Amino acid sequence: MAEQQPAITLEKVCKSFGPNRVLHEVSLTLPAGKIMVMLGPSGTGKSVLLRCLVGLMKPDSGRIFIEGQDITGLDERRSAGREQMFALRRKFGMLFQDGALFDDMCVGDNVAFPLRQHAKLSEREIAARVAEDLERVGLKNAQRKMPAELSGGMRKRVAFARAIALRPKIVLCDEPSSGLDPVMSATLDELILDLHRTLGMTFVVISHDTAEARKIADYVGLLYKGELQAFGLKDEVLRSNQRAINQFFERSTEGPIQVL
Amino acid sequence: MEFLHFVRRALVAQFNGPPPRDEFVRHALDAGVGSLPLLTLLTIFAGMNLSVQAYGTFVRFGGQDLLGLFCGVGGIRELYPVMAAVICGARIGATLAASLANMQISEQVEALEVMAVDPMRLLVAPRLWAVTLMLPLLCGYADVVGLAASYWAATEQMGVNGGTFMEQVRDIVHLGDLAAGVFKGVVFGWLVAIVSCYHGYRALKRDGAEGVGVATNRAIVHSAVLCIVLNMFLSALLYVR
Ligand SMILES: Nc1ncnc2c1ncn2[C@@H]1O[C@H](COP(=O)(O)OP(=O)(O)OP(=O)(O)O)[C@@H](O)[C@H]1O
Ligand SMILES: [Mg+2]
Repeated sequence: MAEQQPAITLEKVCKSFGPNRVLHEVSLTLPAGKIMVMLGPSGTGKSVLLRCLVGLMKPDSGRIFIEGQDITGLDERRSAGREQMFALRRKFGMLFQDGALFDDMCVGDNVAFPLRQHAKLSEREIAARVAEDLERVGLKNAQRKMPAELSGGMRKRVAFARAIALRPKIVLCDEPSSGLDPVMSATLDELILDLHRTLGMTFVVISHDTAEARKIADYVGLLYKGELQAFGLKDEVLRSNQRAINQFFERSTEGPIQVL
Repeated sequence: MEFLHFVRRALVAQFNGPPPRDEFVRHALDAGVGSLPLLTLLTIFAGMNLSVQAYGTFVRFGGQDLLGLFCGVGGIRELYPVMAAVICGARIGATLAASLANMQISEQVEALEVMAVDPMRLLVAPRLWAVTLMLPLLCGYADVVGLAASYWAATEQMGVNGGTFMEQVRDIVHLGDLAAGVFKGVVFGWLVAIVSCYHGYRALKRDGAEGVGVATNRAIVHSAVLCIVLNMFLSALLYVR
């Protein structure tokens, strides 16, 4: 068998909003079936990076490959480009930072939505999958609730269930653990590890939580001021003794990362 | 320019197969049935008012028997379609714009995109169909209610002969006029829907709740202005020979 394409490759990706330089020459390669945790202080462009990965934002320059396919060249104004983009996006599940739940649908319908759109399953199989996934995130009693009735942490877990409903190859999670209590957050970590082990899913997890990074990551990245300060296998990065990494993992105010 | 691009995408989505059923039904019910109380109330008063004003004017030269003529022409050809479009349009347009803008600022539209679902197909197309089909029905309904109100005011309050009134209405209002009203309804309906969807869809996440307000406001104002202006041109097209 030919060697597997890396799940995600970035080549010198740059993105600015006017004068605000958000990403600067970010390059990385994430092999398929690995878990990457991207750390970084607030406002350094982590969410922007995820948006670029699924084509919600276009980088100003640089290229992005998903399983070897260049997505930066796709012209979404043309229907052919748009169809290719949609085909690519079906490899992804995404958990938005604020959940982005459909607020006119109950929790169960939210999780069932991607299945109804894309999976060739009967309503019965869909219901079973929804129940299974909601149970996994500890919300089996919330199926009939509306998103407005949920707490922030519950919304996040529903959004996670929705992101994995189709069992996508690559799951992007924007801060899955923030807003969760430590027990729930650990449960979610286990869930990520479990999906990774049993189904070989690739995860990109954005987090502020270094304990989470220690626990689940194969690869760790640190983004600061739009630049990738460190990236690599977790052990190598932790051993590298870079000041920014040390500062982050030791929760120190001393170091290159400044609070402005 | 941006609007034209939106219109093009919307048209492609609208005519690319039947719209998603649930969304369509929901919006059709909301736009149609939801508008009935307001429209009924206002057309009753508008219809009566038409009679009162016409009577006051015509009675000076003994033309009170022409009341039916005036209420028929003025009401069915002009007043009721425009009323339905502006009143229901404001109501429906506000709902459409607010719902889409809210979905934009809470990233729900982007979530659809990421799930490889075309928001134009899922959100915009059913709204366009629902309003385009409902507004002509509302125009027809307004015709009936408004005319009945005029009739009641004319006969009960001003003592005009009911038979004469109806005869004149039948005389001046042809099937073509009703059809023209319905045609206007279709045009206004589509216009209200596309303008409102456009403003709702254009809201940005960084505008937050204020963005929803701005989108709603623009949707109402722009659709009302466009309907009233367009009504003049449509009338010129339909009635001036
Ligand atoms: N659509 C946009 N238009 C303009 N500027 C934007 C946009 N989206 C993000 N930004 C800017 O990009 C920068 C990075 O934002 P981003 O949301 O990626 O931060 P983050 O790393 O995810 O932070 P947090 O951990 O708080 O979520 C911010 O300065 C923000 O103002
Ligand atoms: Mg973020």
